[in-house]
Amino acid sequence: MIINILCSGPAGKGINFISSFVSYTFAKAGYYVFSSREYESRVRGGNNYNLISISDFPIRSNLSKFDVLIALDKKSVLIHKERMKKDFFLVREEDNLKAAACLFKMFSLPILEFKESLKRFNVSFSSEIERSFNEENRKIISLKLRKSHIKTFSGNKSLAGGMIDGGMKFYYAYPMTPATGLLNEVVAAKSSCFGIEMESEIAAANAAVGSSICGEISVVGTSGGGFDLMIETLSLAGMARIPVVFYLAQRAGPSTGAPTLTSQGDLSDALYSGHGEFARIVMAVGDGEDCIQMPSELFHLTQEFMVPGILLSDKHVVESVYSFDRDFLVKKVYSKIKWPSRFNSYESDSRKISDDSVKNMIKNAKERVGLFKKIEKSIKRPFAFYGKKGKNLIVSWGSTKGAILDAIKEINCGFMQIRYLAPFSRKIEKEIAKAENLIVVENNATSPLSSLIQEKTGIVIKEKNKILKFDGRPFFSDELRKEIIRRLL
Amino acid sequence: MSNKIRTDAMPSWCPGCFNFLFLSVVQKMIENEIKKGKKKEDFAIVSGIGCHGKLFDYLNLGGINTLHGRVIPTCIGMKLAKPKLNVFGFSGDGDAYAEGIEHLVHVTRYNPDFKYFVLNNQVFALTLGQPSPTAEIDYLDKTNPLGVNMPPLNPIKLMLSLNCSFVARVYPDATLIESVFEQAIKHKGFAFIEVLQPCLIFHNVSFKDRVYNLQKENHKKEDLGMALVRAEEFDYSSKDSRIPVGIFYQKERKTFEEIKLM
Repeated sequence: MIINILCSGPAGKGINFISSFVSYTFAKAGYYVFSSREYESRVRGGNNYNLISISDFPIRSNLSKFDVLIALDKKSVLIHKERMKKDFFLVREEDNLKAAACLFKMFSLPILEFKESLKRFNVSFSSEIERSFNEENRKIISLKLRKSHIKTFSGNKSLAGGMIDGGMKFYYAYPMTPATGLLNEVVAAKSSCFGIEMESEIAAANAAVGSSICGEISVVGTSGGGFDLMIETLSLAGMARIPVVFYLAQRAGPSTGAPTLTSQGDLSDALYSGHGEFARIVMAVGDGEDCIQMPSELFHLTQEFMVPGILLSDKHVVESVYSFDRDFLVKKVYSKIKWPSRFNSYESDSRKISDDSVKNMIKNAKERVGLFKKIEKSIKRPFAFYGKKGKNLIVSWGSTKGAILDAIKEINCGFMQIRYLAPFSRKIEKEIAKAENLIVVENNATSPLSSLIQEKTGIVIKEKNKILKFDGRPFFSDELRKEIIRRLL
Repeated sequence: MSNKIRTDAMPSWCPGCFNFLFLSVVQKMIENEIKKGKKKEDFAIVSGIGCHGKLFDYLNLGGINTLHGRVIPTCIGMKLAKPKLNVFGFSGDGDAYAEGIEHLVHVTRYNPDFKYFVLNNQVFALTLGQPSPTAEIDYLDKTNPLGVNMPPLNPIKLMLSLNCSFVARVYPDATLIESVFEQAIKHKGFAFIEVLQPCLIFHNVSFKDRVYNLQKENHKKEDLGMALVRAEEFDYSSKDSRIPVGIFYQKERKTFEEIKLM
């Protein structure tokens, strides 16, 4: 069973509230939920919407057609009519709580559950809401309360948890969508980690350097435009060997682009930006689980090798809500820098005194270049493999993970999620060399992953086997499934 | 790291450069603090890029010789990670007033507890003599053969207008630098100290006969209005005006660390 709900209305009307509320309550009732959101770059008005999928088995993406439309204004009906199934249910309410009450009734859920959930969100129940509940007589499906321990967290909340549990002490940022959510969550966590807003991305990156060289695990976060401003600091970290982590939450660029839409357009920026030759570790999270588990790995590796790390996410993965039916143990990492230590942006000797002698230049360059191999060898899980091993293989990275996993059920193919994009592991090459039919799925127009695979392995991905989406929206699993099947015929 | 404050690296500054004097004062002041009971690891240095930046190579202390213009945010990050550390930031005028001026403006609001020395010789010396934002109006060089023709920035006035909690100017005079340095170390909060000095190669001017010590002329350092008046006496362009040195203004308030690390 999958029920797809589209919840739409102007900004400021509480669509996100309905979405969190519904996600929380259905998870509590024992169902898996996935929800994503699309919103405009404005504070009030316009049309924002959330896509909520509810299922009795794990689900990590949305489908393209919807069973229920919750419309908080007239315009919403006109805008989204095309995306609804033939016999869809329309909940037309101006008030978001009344709309939520109607939805509950349509699933035959007891009003008691609804009231309890409201309490959890510190919202009081009213007779008007009760009237809406009572007056709603349509039925979508009778949901039985299931016994389970499903929880829902947004990607941002998961990431904040993963980073804080992983040992992050300082998170520096300058506001930029879609990275800002992480700063909010870090501050809201009220932990031993500090979220600090600085006057610019450049200030934030260099403050992270300052905290990092004093022996604290420090992360600086931004989106593409802000990351570009930080790149000089990335090169500094490469030269001075500072284990600072750059968090790059992608959105649709170039430039201001479409600030609230998703994209995987910054892979090359993460891999190749910066002047000079130095090693970096680039990792990409694909879903809520990754957000919790992966930062700690990156902290460990950056500290082990004293190199900068880049953690790639995108708007889709951090602003979507994922279901979790188990807990994760996150290993806490400690900084390997002991004060007092010295660091130099110049080429320098072992005492970190500037030294550009021939001998020292060669020694340092060899050391920096040698890191590529050393790091590559110590990456334990360069990729994650799902589905069936065989001649058909889908290769992807980042937030496409959810849609691919949901799309390949009952299809005879495997899915390799590349977790580390740099250094590029030989293990990836070995695995993809076995496949006869190689498909790359990416949320961008030029398929930088295909270029990376070709650069590192010599394997050329056929143009027809690149499934690319670059409209600023994530993949829907049903549409993606059709695209995959078409390539496997 | 050895116990000596100076490394054995040979300075690459030009013969007679006033940076030598500044280096020996910094060395002496830190040695004094250590004699009084502090440890070497209680101190940190951060320098930018330019002639001043080489200080990092000559001082055997923890810290970083960082990017051009980014001394201030680096010091802020260090103070948040280690609030008890005595952090000294060193910048040139290119570093502080050109590339990194956004940080200079905001750091006055944050008021982190570190001491910031700007070695201002009014030119980009290491890149061979281009005018910095404080170069005088008729300064000539290869990039400005007809002269700069723009009024210079007055950093003292800027810092005062931003309510910076400690604003001072010194010139190459060991006794003066020592006395201001001592006050700055005692100050809780951000201390801005401009070291106005000639560049013997590209900007060989003498301030000696024009300077006067504010503290010797009864300037009250809590008087912001008067401090602004004094700051206007020298506009960085004039060839004959008096040049006030010493502490223009000092008023303590909550530090960034106190606010953020609650």
